[in-house]
Amino acid sequence: MAENGKTFSATPAPYIHSADTVAKRCWGQLAALMPVIFAAGFFGKTEFLHVLLLSLISAVAFELLGAKLFGKKDKLHHGEAILIAVLMAILMPPGCPSEAILLANFLAVFIAKEFFGGMGEYLFHPVLFARVFLHASFPGMTAEPLVLHGSFWVLTAVGIGGLILVRQKQGYWETPFLYITLCSFCTFALGRWGNDPGNFFSGVLLTAFFLLADPVAMPLTRRGTRLFVAGAALLSALLSPRGFSMAAAGFSILLMNLLTPWLDVWLRPRPSAAEGLVNAGGQS
Amino acid sequence: MAAPKPVGIRLERKKDASLLNWNLKRLHPPEKICVPLRQGSRPCVRVGEQVRIGQRIGEPENPEEATVHASISGTVTEIAAAPDAMGGMSVRVVIQKSTEPKLAPGVWEIRKGWEQIPAGELEAAFQCAGLVTTDLSAEPVHSKIKRHAAASTLVVNCCEPEPYVTCEQTLLLSHPVEVLKGAELLRKALGAEKILLAFETCNFEIGELLKSKIFFLKWTHAEARAVPSLYPQGTERLLLQNWFPGEKEKAVVFPASTAFAAYEAVAHQKPFYERLVTVGGECVVEPRSLWLPLGISFQDAIHACKGVMREPERVVMNGPMAGIAQADLNVPVTAGTAAVLALPKEITKKGPEEPCIRCNLCVNKCPAGISPVMITLAADHQELETAGIFGAAACIECGNCGYVCPSQRPMLEKIRTAKKKLGISGTKPAGAHHG
Ligand code: SF4
Ligand code: SF4
Repeated sequence: MAENGKTFSATPAPYIHSADTVAKRCWGQLAALMPVIFAAGFFGKTEFLHVLLLSLISAVAFELLGAKLFGKKDKLHHGEAILIAVLMAILMPPGCPSEAILLANFLAVFIAKEFFGGMGEYLFHPVLFARVFLHASFPGMTAEPLVLHGSFWVLTAVGIGGLILVRQKQGYWETPFLYITLCSFCTFALGRWGNDPGNFFSGVLLTAFFLLADPVAMPLTRRGTRLFVAGAALLSALLSPRGFSMAAAGFSILLMNLLTPWLDVWLRPRPSAAEGLVNAGGQS
Repeated sequence: MAAPKPVGIRLERKKDASLLNWNLKRLHPPEKICVPLRQGSRPCVRVGEQVRIGQRIGEPENPEEATVHASISGTVTEIAAAPDAMGGMSVRVVIQKSTEPKLAPGVWEIRKGWEQIPAGELEAAFQCAGLVTTDLSAEPVHSKIKRHAAASTLVVNCCEPEPYVTCEQTLLLSHPVEVLKGAELLRKALGAEKILLAFETCNFEIGELLKSKIFFLKWTHAEARAVPSLYPQGTERLLLQNWFPGEKEKAVVFPASTAFAAYEAVAHQKPFYERLVTVGGECVVEPRSLWLPLGISFQDAIHACKGVMREPERVVMNGPMAGIAQADLNVPVTAGTAAVLALPKEITKKGPEEPCIRCNLCVNKCPAGISPVMITLAADHQELETAGIFGAAACIECGNCGYVCPSQRPMLEKIRTAKKKLGISGTKPAGAHHG
């Protein structure tokens, strides 16, 4: 028993917590990516492992460097840099040069993430930002990533990973659902189905589950998120010349990222609709 | 348009431990208690005077306020200001226990013909008993009745959405008829037509009990109605908002324990000097709900439940979601104290604050339908106007946003600060008056 006069810390409420953390979310996404990594490793063999390793090392290095330069504590334990590295490795075209990988991770971790203020502050999805930038400026980066050259097994792996992620309930269930249906429907309607639906669906599933899983540059309401996803799906169908193009999908998400601040203000929750609570200060 | 889906969180309720000892006991009186006087009242006893249980010790200057009564018998040893559980200061009358507990004359005597008492005399009876609502606002019942003269429905709140807290539940299971009779008295005093009893769906036994008692009393004007057991559904503001959209002045909410106290005040002529309090949390040896005299210190309250088995990390007044952590256990139990919780490290632990990852959770779980994230981000950047646009004023300070935030941001604190800067009074004013 505490003796008289012993004091306790009197922090503000609430005193219990849902036990959800940022680190859990990142590592959860990484766990869901495992099947995709295995599939990519199986088909890409040492080449993919090389890309993955280089990507991991450079992302971690840039994260540490960024923390040092900006005078912050590094956030490696959150796994965010590692998540970026893994996604980057998956999105790299096969046979890309090592400099490209280094540059990509530099752009993603250092420029898109740290430079914009670090975790939670960035305006663009870091991986897509780097990938689209490289696509536009680096020769040999226009090829589609490995997962889009795969087979039925890659598609299955992406699907399983996606289901794992959906089960974790990190985001809304309709985010992947909307993206997949809208994107396939529009592509079909435009007659750009291409001759390889396996590739198409690998790409769509990967985007729907994993590239739309980062909420930082997405709207702050459910309605806004739906609009964001619908916009990204339509744009990516429109911009892809044939089948599914990773660059088009990435570019459409970046475009929607740019619109997010407007969506946030436009679709903000309106408490005035909830019974004039706005002026209800004090106990009634 | 269909009624909006109720928003809230399904919390782990953790009520079993304190329900295990469900019989409501009274304490052997503690050595010493410090009864806080309400703001604006002056003591009507002197140091050295003998007082009895139920004797009036504080008198208000303003007739809208409530009187204060002694909760044990003994000698007044000191009258001085001291900090209270709300973070303010209040004048306390310190009473040292005498050997023999003695009741003040007239206390606990059945009032003759109390069931036929005319409505006009009820208010005076409440006022004379110093009856205040048993929630944090601790408003004198007679002035709350006056303020809601236009109400046609009395809502009796039997919900306890906060984890651990079980005092209303135990009270209803032990004294359902008394609560109903008290509600009837309140209804009469209000001049209302209908009584609605709100209970949580997970406490369906309370609902069934109330329904059967209403049936046997042959009341056609009373009805028990379920509220989804989602925190914070079942709090006063949300009950009004969901059941009386757009016409809040038509209803008035009283907690079930206030109805019980009204019954005792009228039928037994018992002044309001004690209340049911849940003493709980994982650290308490024998968590339970029990009658505590107002003014007993948190320390003694925990002691009455056989003390703590290990060092608590936080001692919280009321629930863990919207309660107030106490630095010092000498603060007194007051009318607004529904629970005294001693919580261990593993329950209250919290990681370091991270930047917002804009996960949307706080927006989706906010029962006020506002954007906690926008308000806090704006407040972080000192943009108070934006915080106002995003609805800071509508916040009911339930704590949901802080509970779900994966970045462990102290949301409620930020919103409270923003509200204060915007000049919006909170639901929990620091240093509030209560008795
Ligand atoms: S903003 Fe206020 S009402 Fe909304 S969840 Fe947070 S504390 Fe509750
Ligand atoms: S719950 Fe926390 S991290 Fe998520 S949007 Fe709200 S403030 Fe940001």
